[in-house]
Amino acid sequence: MDTTVLLQLLLPGLTTGCVYALVALGFVLCANVSGVVNFAQGEFVMLGGMAAAWLIGLDLPFVLAILVATALGAGVGALQEFLTLAPVRRQPHFIQITTTVGFAVVLRGITLIVAGKDALSLPGFSGDGVFFVFGAILPVQSLWVWGATLLLLLGTFSFLRYTNVGRAVRACSINLQAARLMGVNAERLRVIVFAVSGATGALAGVVITPLVLASWDAGLTYSTKGFIGAILGGFRSPATAVLGGLFIGLLESLGAGYVSSGWKDFIVYGVLLAWLLIQGGVFLRGRAGAVTGGP
Amino acid sequence: MVLLARRKSLIAALLFVIAVAVYPLAFPDSYHLGVGISAGAMAVSTVGVVLLLGLAHQLAIGQAAFSMIGGYANAILCVRYGWDPFAALLAGAVMAMALAYVVAAPILKLRGFVLAMATLALHLMLIVVAVELSFTGGPMGVTGIPKFHVFGISLADDRAFFWFVWLLVFGAVWIGLNIDRSAIGRALRAIAASEQAAGSVGVDITRHKVQMFVIGGGMASVSGSLLVHYLRATDPTVFGFSYSINLITGTIIGGLTSIWGGALGAAIIIFLRELLRDLALPLWESVIMGALTVIVLIAFPRGIAGFVSRIYDRMANEREVGRVVVTEPGAVAMQPLANPPMSHQPFLEVAGVSRAFGSLRAVSNVSFTVGPGAITALIGPNGAGKTTLFNLIGGYLTLDAGVVRFEGREIQALPPRDVAQLGIGRTFQNLQLFDNMTVLENVMCGQHRFTTHAVLPIALRLAAQRQEAGIRHAALEALGFVGLQGAEQHEPAVLPFGHQRLVEIARALALRPRLLLMDEPASGLNDTETERLAELIVRIAALGVTVLVVEHDMRLVMGLADHVVVMDHGEMIAEGAPDVVRGEPAVIAAYLGQEAPARAA
Repeated sequence: MDTTVLLQLLLPGLTTGCVYALVALGFVLCANVSGVVNFAQGEFVMLGGMAAAWLIGLDLPFVLAILVATALGAGVGALQEFLTLAPVRRQPHFIQITTTVGFAVVLRGITLIVAGKDALSLPGFSGDGVFFVFGAILPVQSLWVWGATLLLLLGTFSFLRYTNVGRAVRACSINLQAARLMGVNAERLRVIVFAVSGATGALAGVVITPLVLASWDAGLTYSTKGFIGAILGGFRSPATAVLGGLFIGLLESLGAGYVSSGWKDFIVYGVLLAWLLIQGGVFLRGRAGAVTGGP
Repeated sequence: MVLLARRKSLIAALLFVIAVAVYPLAFPDSYHLGVGISAGAMAVSTVGVVLLLGLAHQLAIGQAAFSMIGGYANAILCVRYGWDPFAALLAGAVMAMALAYVVAAPILKLRGFVLAMATLALHLMLIVVAVELSFTGGPMGVTGIPKFHVFGISLADDRAFFWFVWLLVFGAVWIGLNIDRSAIGRALRAIAASEQAAGSVGVDITRHKVQMFVIGGGMASVSGSLLVHYLRATDPTVFGFSYSINLITGTIIGGLTSIWGGALGAAIIIFLRELLRDLALPLWESVIMGALTVIVLIAFPRGIAGFVSRIYDRMANEREVGRVVVTEPGAVAMQPLANPPMSHQPFLEVAGVSRAFGSLRAVSNVSFTVGPGAITALIGPNGAGKTTLFNLIGGYLTLDAGVVRFEGREIQALPPRDVAQLGIGRTFQNLQLFDNMTVLENVMCGQHRFTTHAVLPIALRLAAQRQEAGIRHAALEALGFVGLQGAEQHEPAVLPFGHQRLVEIARALALRPRLLLMDEPASGLNDTETERLAELIVRIAALGVTVLVVEHDMRLVMGLADHVVVMDHGEMIAEGAPDVVRGEPAVIAAYLGQEAPARAA
């Protein structure tokens, strides 16, 4: 196999995989503290990209636009938890999840009305140049994506490891009930985690937009692919969710390169279906509920 | 409450029939007829969404996948192969149902949101297929789909097709109502209220959820077929993500827990969409649909149907549901067991059973037998491991070592529902009634193991009617037997605690158990109630039912039991007739907290 061709597929795959990884991370963190799978997770990515591009269209300075877009992600995440999830907390589980689907649709709709139907673009943060890695050509923006992801992951994982709030989040992921009994303020924690995952998603959306364009309907893809990453990672551990997300990025890129770009989604979703069918059919004979992590 | 539901459903049916009859006369133009046809096509699938989302609690986020199969099956079979539209509609439904089964049967075991995402993935895969293959017409789709005709009757006239579509809606509603009111409907509601208790009456939850998924898939497919015959064309955008969202939003607005509400919701959504187009606000569709979903879920989780139904209840004052009369146990006779267990074989045998939680040995190496037809009591101080042992026998916990035999058959590896199917009933220490059903329906759930769960006869009302009458009769009998009459139409939560206990016992008796496990039935009861309970237990045993009761209350046990097993710290410390056991030093020590004199381990 030609290494250059392979690298030319793997490295861009890694770039989109970074976004999926951050979405997967958000899925798992939100599910751990709230017990809810937040189907709006990918919409934060869409929101970040669209907001930044739209604000720059309004002649806002570049850095300010990025900051506002990220803050918007955080605000919308917190708002979602506070405004839509807290009131249905005592409802059955499927109603809580359906609420997140409704919220995702609202975000899509608002973006469509405000920013319009057309896809928006952003210039590369340090120009639209390219660089070479063993013969593979990559846009310089990839470095920004990798760097931002690395920083966000480092930030999130040190937050989880070294801060009190982070430890509380980890306690919740091990046993939500017990953590609550130990005095963890779950309500406040949820708002914080939703804000953090909103901000991470939005920033991911900002850095990826120069490479892929931003569009009001792009969130669904980010949600589903990030979710698949999280599921492959077991839907409980943040670290394996990140790996799952990266894997989906690579798989998608390889699928596009070796099969066809039209069929790449088919391959990724097919992997999810196959994985679930195998888990349900073979590995988990009789043992219900083991992979989901959710209640 | 059942009768009340019937009456409400009748009123809803009447209103729908009138609306459907009047609409084409009031709006005879082809635009309005088209809107009515779209609403009807959608209503066929929202009825399926009520079954899935409202009854089975499965988020139907990928329903458009099945509509897409129906739509494309019709497009391809009719246009390329010249099939009859009706035959193509049926073929599409069969394909969708087969696919739904293949996907749901394994994935439903994984529980929760996973199936929702799996069906969404399936939907997105189908979109790729539709776009990429030339067979499906690629991005341009298929055009020239013929107008519908069935058995040689042309439905080319919009008004005729309108009526045909709504006829199918009524068909779907009929199927939905049949399921909703059947043993399957009760089983799914039971699961929503308490999985443990549902298991205790033998409900196989995965099976019923798969059934709903397959039926919902079939309905979605028919809906897609009707839509493409109306549009005369299809392409991948017809069945996009927003199609699924509209289904969900419509169902939620109409009323998640009401079949008629689902149909109503579909009509509302379609008319709302047209209204937005008239107002030149098509971009607002997404925001409004999403916001309605969230707002209705927060403010009126049962939608318009739930709201209207509550107002109706209040106006008709239908909450007058009769006064509860408590009678002596056995006031209504129950049939004794037809084939009582024979006395020469061990009936229930617990041999060397152990279970540890981490380092805590909750039950260690316990062995005893329960003779047929007897009342055996399992006693011991708090934390002795009685309830754990109970849960091991009932299949609620898996054991680390040992064997449990029931009538010679090993049952320790069986899940609760299979244990129940063998004729082992149980009651719970902390009551586990289904608070989303009436008292009568709660007890009817006990009959689950005697009912048909095959979905086809139930959906088409081939078996249901006769069966339901029998179930109702048996449930009333059980309620009368425990001495609780007039409570049938109440919700269990409004009854006093002591009555709730009786409801749970009646539910377990409706199972016609050969063995009844009762977990601290006297806890929370006053003296009079405890006396009645003792009498009831004796009468239950007189039916030929073997009773194993875990109890704290020594007075109850000593007057009642033929045989007593005493546990302490997870071990069995004594066994025998009540008088003998009472004198054992180890038992006295365990209860009074003295140091046990050299007890045999």
